[in-house]
Amino acid sequence: MTYFESYLTVGAFIALGALLVGVVLVLARALAPSNPSAEKLSTYECGVDPVGSGWSQTYVRYYLYGLLFVIFDIEAVFIFPWAIQLESLGMFGLIEMLVFIGILVLGLVYAIRKGVLRWE
Amino acid sequence: MTFEIDYLALAPELVVAGTIIAALLLDLFLTRSKKYWVAVLSVVGVAGGLVPIVYMLAEGGTRSMFDGSYVVDEFALILKIVFLVSGYLVLLMSVSYIEADRYYQGEYYFLLLSSILGSLVMSSSRDLIVLFIGLELTTGPLFLLAGWRKGDAKSNEASLKFFILGVLSTAILLYGMSLLFGLTGSVEFTAIAAAIPDLVSEPALALSVLFLIVGFAFKASAVPFHFWAPDTYEGAPTPVAAYLSVNSKAAGFVAMLIVMYTALPGISEVWAPALWVLAALSMTVGNLSALRQGNIVRLLAYSSIAQAGFMLVPFAAAAVAGSDLAQAFSATVVYLVIYALMNLGAFAVVIAGARRTGSGDIDDWAGLGQKDPVLGLLTALFFLSLAGIPPLAGWYAKFVMFASVIEAGGISTLVLAAIAAVNSVIAFYYYARVIKAVWLDTPSEELLARPGREYAGSIKLTLAISMGLTIAIGIYPTFATYFGEASRVIATGGG
Amino acid sequence: MAEVIIFGLMALPALAGGVTVVLARNPVYGAMGLLGSMLALGVLYVAQLAHFIAAIHVVVYAGAVMTLFLFVIMLIGVDRADDQNERLPRQRQLVILGVLGIVATAFAVAFSGRFSWVIAATGERIPQATNGTTVALARVLFSDWVLAFEATALLLTIGSAGAIALASRRGKPVDLPIDPEVTS
Repeated sequence: MTYFESYLTVGAFIALGALLVGVVLVLARALAPSNPSAEKLSTYECGVDPVGSGWSQTYVRYYLYGLLFVIFDIEAVFIFPWAIQLESLGMFGLIEMLVFIGILVLGLVYAIRKGVLRWE
Repeated sequence: MTFEIDYLALAPELVVAGTIIAALLLDLFLTRSKKYWVAVLSVVGVAGGLVPIVYMLAEGGTRSMFDGSYVVDEFALILKIVFLVSGYLVLLMSVSYIEADRYYQGEYYFLLLSSILGSLVMSSSRDLIVLFIGLELTTGPLFLLAGWRKGDAKSNEASLKFFILGVLSTAILLYGMSLLFGLTGSVEFTAIAAAIPDLVSEPALALSVLFLIVGFAFKASAVPFHFWAPDTYEGAPTPVAAYLSVNSKAAGFVAMLIVMYTALPGISEVWAPALWVLAALSMTVGNLSALRQGNIVRLLAYSSIAQAGFMLVPFAAAAVAGSDLAQAFSATVVYLVIYALMNLGAFAVVIAGARRTGSGDIDDWAGLGQKDPVLGLLTALFFLSLAGIPPLAGWYAKFVMFASVIEAGGISTLVLAAIAAVNSVIAFYYYARVIKAVWLDTPSEELLARPGREYAGSIKLTLAISMGLTIAIGIYPTFATYFGEASRVIATGGG
Repeated sequence: MAEVIIFGLMALPALAGGVTVVLARNPVYGAMGLLGSMLALGVLYVAQLAHFIAAIHVVVYAGAVMTLFLFVIMLIGVDRADDQNERLPRQRQLVILGVLGIVATAFAVAFSGRFSWVIAATGERIPQATNGTTVALARVLFSDWVLAFEATALLLTIGSAGAIALASRRGKPVDLPIDPEVTS
């Protein structure tokens, strides 16, 4: 099996997924009775009447959470290859990773001390 | 896994890195009235980074690590000294400037130190990846620092312009690097240099080289990639502008020279004309635009663009003429060292002068010499040095530059030398204009009535250090020549 | 052959995504275009034997960074009318000229090049399945590029600390008071 053939499974999986969604949508359109009313067409917002526009402005705080998330996401990405090679990297690899995480934790400590993670 | 880390070779970086972490932690756990300790720590840390460098210089020799991707030779050590000393001077300048804002003091030093660390890493890098990370570490914090005066729309503009153009240039740089890697199959400069001869007819190689030049020229703010510089310098806090005009410019510059010199000497027929054009345009456009500036920071911004052009001249000339690049390299490094000192001095004068006059407009500086003779003298000293008047350091920089161009020979180099000569005269005009305003124009009532505010000791120290070195190099140029000679070692060590 | 087909299949959506980013009036649609472009690029990475890069491209870029993008778009406010005025004289013509120039350069490079440089396509390295794998990456990342690796950590911390310092509004409203004169 060549390299690209081994990826056929993935392709088949994606195609099946797309097919499933398509079939369900078509079935719903074909079988469900259509009887719209103003109440039904309004945007669903946890069962309450929607307030204001859907495109509202958010707070900058969300952004800071998002940023911290990205940073630790990247940290996780670096941990994967490290974990795979942990044995051959040995003690030095462990120290490397601890320094890496230490520097990132510094950023987290900073965020905590500045009170960014406190929601008011 | 067998590889060793030479901790002595890394000592300057480790000292600065330790200072960075300590500065951030210290800032978090100090009360507001004690934040100045962060500044003290930063200044001490940067000075401490010089100790292992001096030790290694005395010991001599080349230290290579990580498969030759990180080389500590004399060239790298010299550059590290330049970056650390100018970083030290900028830190000193910042102390009084940032002190009034107690809340964001720690972060300021954290970011500035990180940028210094980036330039240290960059000067030793002999492979594309380390070079890129070093360059990013140098410029990344500056996007933030340029916008440090959050309440000022000009500062926001400065940061945004710098960021968008900086990121664009980074993208172009990376594209060039990836093409180069795809063609040569290596990221190491020596391996790239070895692979180049088989590839010279490949048009994609020329494209990648041009992309690299564009990316570096943005960082060095050479014309036509200079548009961000005046607005950013003007809006950024003045010490940050000083740092941008010296360290960050030098970082882009040095990165370009290292790559051209160690990785791409085999294809100099592509980059030599490009550098020639960059040098000629930077000198001419920078100087002509500087003529029309009324604000002193903008004037210095355009002047620093023009100075980047002068710095490029020896290297571009030698490359076009096909003569000895090592000679040109040392001329450029000498120019860089001297430029760093006098330009930082000029920015320190601007900070002090803005305190005195309450303005950044050259017209409002009229008669400053009568109000404050010492500051007036210093203004004259640094601006004359920038103009290249003996016996100040600037003349030696210009002398070395012209000497190396004439040594290179050839018609195109002589044209470049002529352009440089005309530009030196133009530059003298606008530098002299500032001095004329300070000494010959009559002071306004307002200026005479202003209370004579004392400026901080750290500013005085900055002025004293840069003044001392500017005069010393001017009178005893061998000192600067040592830097240039030592920097030639890259020819054997890296290339 | 398979690689060429996959390249064609994926380069088109990648380009279409990029065009959407530029042309979409609503920035959220632009973000979605970018997302599509990133996913297509992820597939291209797989075709280049870079599995690990493909995976983190999807996880970090299409996942985390995209979320951040949407936060920023919502922060600025999607409904805010944009200033669509073009400031430069003849901006459109210049853009078209620039695009034509880039396309011409790309063609010139593509048709006069020898392209010995697409190493994966020559088949030399395909048998070695270790190329571009996580193991191969780990081996160099944690030995030769330790320094770059640790510097990356510092870059990330700079990003977070800097963003917090610029964005947070705790404490007194900050406005560096010293010499605003210089900029006036």
